[in-house]
Amino acid sequence: MRTAWLVVVAAGFVLMAAPRHAHAGERGLASTFMCQCGCGLTLASCTHASCGPRDQVLAEIAGLEREGRSPAQITTALVARYGEVILGAPTRRGFNLLAWWGPYGAIAAGAALILGLGAAWVRRPRGLAPAGPPELSPEQRERLERELRDFND
Amino acid sequence: MSEIGPLAIGMAFVVSLYGLAAPLLGKALKRQELVRSGSAAVYANFLLLSVASAALLQALLARDFGNAYVASYTSKDLGFWYTLSAFWAGQAGSLLFWALLLTGFTALVVWRQSVYRELMPYVIATLMGTSAFFTMLLAFVSSPFARVPFTPADGSGLNPLLQNPGMFFHPPTQYLGYVGFTIPFAFAIAAMATRRLDDEWIRATRRWTLMAWFFLSWGVIFGMQWAYVELGWGGYWAWDPVENASLMPWLTATAFLHSVMIQEKRDMLKVWNLVLIILTFALSIFGTFLTRSGVLSSVHSFALSSMGPLFFGFILLTLAVSFILLFVRLPALRSAAELDSLVSRESSFLFNNLILVGAAFSVFLGTVFPLLSEAVRGVKISVGPPFFNQVNVPIGLALLLLMGLCPLLAWRKASPRNLGRNFLIPAVITVLGAVLMVAFGLGNPIALVAFTLCVFTTATILQDFHRGAMVRQSHGEAYPLAFVRLIGRNHRRYGGYVVHIGIILLFAGMAGGAFSAEREAVLKKGESVALNQYTLRYEGVSQYPTRSAAVTAATLTVFNGGEQIAVMTPQRNFHNTHQDQPMTEVAIRSTIKEDLYIILAGLGEDGTANFRVIVNPLMMWMWIGSAVLTLGTLIAFWPERGEALRNRSRYLVEGS
Repeated sequence: MRTAWLVVVAAGFVLMAAPRHAHAGERGLASTFMCQCGCGLTLASCTHASCGPRDQVLAEIAGLEREGRSPAQITTALVARYGEVILGAPTRRGFNLLAWWGPYGAIAAGAALILGLGAAWVRRPRGLAPAGPPELSPEQRERLERELRDFND
Repeated sequence: MSEIGPLAIGMAFVVSLYGLAAPLLGKALKRQELVRSGSAAVYANFLLLSVASAALLQALLARDFGNAYVASYTSKDLGFWYTLSAFWAGQAGSLLFWALLLTGFTALVVWRQSVYRELMPYVIATLMGTSAFFTMLLAFVSSPFARVPFTPADGSGLNPLLQNPGMFFHPPTQYLGYVGFTIPFAFAIAAMATRRLDDEWIRATRRWTLMAWFFLSWGVIFGMQWAYVELGWGGYWAWDPVENASLMPWLTATAFLHSVMIQEKRDMLKVWNLVLIILTFALSIFGTFLTRSGVLSSVHSFALSSMGPLFFGFILLTLAVSFILLFVRLPALRSAAELDSLVSRESSFLFNNLILVGAAFSVFLGTVFPLLSEAVRGVKISVGPPFFNQVNVPIGLALLLLMGLCPLLAWRKASPRNLGRNFLIPAVITVLGAVLMVAFGLGNPIALVAFTLCVFTTATILQDFHRGAMVRQSHGEAYPLAFVRLIGRNHRRYGGYVVHIGIILLFAGMAGGAFSAEREAVLKKGESVALNQYTLRYEGVSQYPTRSAAVTAATLTVFNGGEQIAVMTPQRNFHNTHQDQPMTEVAIRSTIKEDLYIILAGLGEDGTANFRVIVNPLMMWMWIGSAVLTLGTLIAFWPERGEALRNRSRYLVEGS
């Protein structure tokens, strides 16, 4: 039962630790939007020394910030202009929930399976012990010991 | 000379097909000479691909620009070592490298492990089947020996991003890992085909698995190091599809390394172990598919082609054959033993496996989700670092917790007394550690949890070492000697613990990222910018040519609290062969506490320079952790007397 409790505690811990904000980034908004140059990285991480698409979106963000728009409003404006592909993380709606919760669901299902099967196994009579190493004749054992001595030397 | 390479590859394809068919026919027709000729085909295949590889190396070093591959990836000004690395810089060369490693490993298996005579025909057939796929690609789809109609005066040169020492080691280690997993996979297929479903195939491939895991680990680490120093964005992991592709087989292989211990000790998890090695092999091929297909855009996709469907077909075929075979053998795969208790070492391994495979699934789902979204909703989306960090950080922390719990639990059944005895000291140390961290102002909750779990896991491992050493000391050995001999008595267990300590250090380095600080500044000569305790004064810019590039270097004097500690020179280079692609060369000052990382982002016409300055705490601990991981793997790899006894006795029994 203790393992079951450990799993419950670990699962709770995982759920509590899962951040709830899709756009929380340490390096500001630039790390929550994807660069559109094809590098596959965020605006903050785009590896190109000079990158037109990156600089354009960064300028747009700076302009919207100067207008006093909130991060949510900036996100809405950029999604309206570029589509959802600009977001570094999928929205937490509809089909995208599969990406957000699929892994946790799979882990929870796996944990339930282990606990269920494990409980069933524990209740059953014990199984057989694993087989031991193959039997050796005295000659074979002597040869083996000789080779092992050589091996150790 | 230029005909030797294509001829050797064509012959290797034919020999691979023969090596696939002959052992199977030999078994079916009970003709040993056919089986033996399959073994001979393995050596012939290795020889042929060695000849092809030598021909390509010769073309590269001779700068034979009439060869399309040489013209695409080298130039006259490219240095010797980078010319060698051009072997695997492009698609055709890397496929040849894959095939060469595979046939080399296959030859080693046939040479060293012929004792497994029942398994060997199927092992050879599986490995030669894989070789046939790669040599087919080389012969008919992407040849490294294709000629250009007119020989250019110079080549296009190697992509400047690849001109980094890390790239000399990253692809070979990565490929050694990917290819290495083909061996345990082939033994698993052979075990299913022959119904020899005990732990024979696992024992036969333990070192291969460990070797492949080690090289894949280093492939990932070299890739991280390359990204950190060469890509110039201040980080080491961008959750790029190709990075993810290397992580997925690493995660399933790590699960496999743990779960095989349960099969060896308790004769359990037979089906699960087969599933894990099949997945690991398929994910290794998937990694190559992602790099080469261009199906997902990636910073690592240096060579794209239309061979994606062929790779995809090969993955599907592999999965279909493997799982059909597994399904057919299910009745023979019933475990002889079952769990005695849910509170045991076995169950903790099961949960460890669950988390590792869950992490692999999470990475896989995130990687392919843009394709799923487009197929289902018709909407293009991105799945980038913000997603992966949020989803995977909790899973990583759960893994760290399990890594700490595992050594505390006894095999079969942990009694309440055993639990209390084992938990007490690590728990006290963990609570004290957490309190100290809070007292010293560690405010980030995720980082606090991560560091606390690092303390807990380290404490449980050290307690296990200490107890083992104390037992030996009670028999008269001095404590330091007892400690060393303890490791010597069970390389696998204590090597594994050392690997865990390396992983803990890697986790600590990653958690340090929560405290990174960054600042951008546009500076005129003589102006300064401050970040944390550092003050950086811009001294000016210098320009000079090198053999292959025009270098622009900005000089910054770095002060720590008024004391000058370094002069750093971040650069922007224009390579002769890629002048449209200016490259940033970052300047990094590493200490045990943190890295000071400076990027020269741009230069203004008014003489100003635009800098991005980043402080990355605990980065060096990641590299130290990687070294510890290596040490642990070497300890675990080292032969033990008991294991040698088992292997030799098997040989003597089967040979008598």
